[in-house]
Amino acid sequence: MSAIVRIANLNKHFDQIHVLKDISFEVAPAEVICIIGRSGSGKSTLLRCVNFLEQPEFGTVEVDGVQVVAGGKGRDHQQQIHALRLKTGMVFQSFNLFAHMTALQNVIEGPVTVKGMPKKEAIELGMHNLEKVGLAAKRDQFPSRLSGGQQQRVAIARALAMEPKVMLFDEPTSALDPELIGEVLAVMQKLVEEGMTMLTVTHEMGFARKFAHRILYMHDGRFIEQGSPEQLFNNPEDERTRAFLSHLLT
Amino acid sequence: MRNTADFPDATNQVRIIQELRRQKLLRFRLGVNTSYVVLMALLVLAFSGVEFTFFGIEFSTVSLDWDFIWERMPFIFGGVGLTILLSVLSIVLASVLALLGALGRLSKSPPAYALATFYISLIRGTPLLLQIYFFLLGLPQFGIVLTGLTAGVLALGLNYGAYMTEIMRAGIQSVGVGQREAALAIGMTQQQIMRRVVLPQAFRMVIPPIGNQFIAMLKDTSLIAITGFVWEILWRAQKVGRANFRNFEALLIAAVFYWIITILFSAVQSRLEAHMARGERTL
Repeated sequence: MSAIVRIANLNKHFDQIHVLKDISFEVAPAEVICIIGRSGSGKSTLLRCVNFLEQPEFGTVEVDGVQVVAGGKGRDHQQQIHALRLKTGMVFQSFNLFAHMTALQNVIEGPVTVKGMPKKEAIELGMHNLEKVGLAAKRDQFPSRLSGGQQQRVAIARALAMEPKVMLFDEPTSALDPELIGEVLAVMQKLVEEGMTMLTVTHEMGFARKFAHRILYMHDGRFIEQGSPEQLFNNPEDERTRAFLSHLLT
Repeated sequence: MRNTADFPDATNQVRIIQELRRQKLLRFRLGVNTSYVVLMALLVLAFSGVEFTFFGIEFSTVSLDWDFIWERMPFIFGGVGLTILLSVLSIVLASVLALLGALGRLSKSPPAYALATFYISLIRGTPLLLQIYFFLLGLPQFGIVLTGLTAGVLALGLNYGAYMTEIMRAGIQSVGVGQREAALAIGMTQQQIMRRVVLPQAFRMVIPPIGNQFIAMLKDTSLIAITGFVWEILWRAQKVGRANFRNFEALLIAAVFYWIITILFSAVQSRLEAHMARGERTL
């Protein structure tokens, strides 16, 4: 099966720090990948390079046939990045719902403004997605009136409304109170079951163990180990992975 | 865990403390209001024309020509509408310029940034009165004769726009970077992000400070009086004051009108601010 995401030789610096060191990997359609690692290892930066929220200096990103070569300039390059972003949906650690819009307005903003979808149709699509995350009843609430878990579920609905091929989750549960994590994970589980291709940066080892097809362990800007959850959690080969996991599980 | 209900005494104490706090607040408010009345009474006394002896010292207060005041008040009051109109038109122009200025100051385009910076520097580097003269006395030299109202609005709008640029810029920058990133991630362009996500949130932030600017501007419209072409409050006061050599009374009337307008708009302003603060939570 041909890959839906192809990352090749991705490099990124923040000033003097080499954050991503020649990262390459592929993701198959419907594959669920969890990227784990210590904070500062470059996981979030990697995810943000996939839709060019961060600009890598070197390398290529390809999602569903749209290829962007890093370091490009000009209109064509911008249009390619735009096309790439339409292929991907992103969910942030801090939700980032538009504060001045209701839940439904947040969800239909992309379809209406970016795709030019008629409002009536967008509302139908928006409600469908709000139902999917279990928040149809909250359609007219502003984000500040929603709990963290509800905000994150609306954020997922907002991303889904653009009908992306790949979902990028950047620590989607890290800002949540423990009792709210479950409702977000349940929505993510639903997406896994529907066959969504997912790239998730997470500290939620339970989710990784249960739903990931493949886990990538990132250390100091590189993948130093990867494998199925059983392999990686039960028999980590690299010493650094072992140290990280034992630290986490105790 | 036990709560205060398990301790009847504690609940009672809380109630007593709350009651004491409330009484303290009420006493403070009563004191403030009484002081206002006393201050106002002193002010009235000062202009009452009464002469009296207090502890052996003779005091005489300012005596006003009340006939003149009652007779001329309607004429001066006739300028209130124009003062407010000047302020409203000028604040609208200033807001538009401030928005453009702020976008320029935040722009990555060198000419846009330079133009905005140049504008702010030029306007803030010269007196408002000079700018008013420039439009009314300077331009006619080149055959450009503006009406007093147009010149006043242009001068005040340009001037306040420069100062308000910083307010607008702060408002735009107060919108978190996460909002832009979320918009980028769903494929919005920079223009769409500005129009749909950043500006609507920035405007909510800047409405209270712009209200402040409006209140300041209400009084700066009086500078237009110097041109002699706009019959607003101060111009009318000067005119009747000089004609009857009752400058003091005339200026007093103008002062009272400015003060009342300011108090009214300040009340509107604080309501607006309270409303926005509430919106912050519900929105």
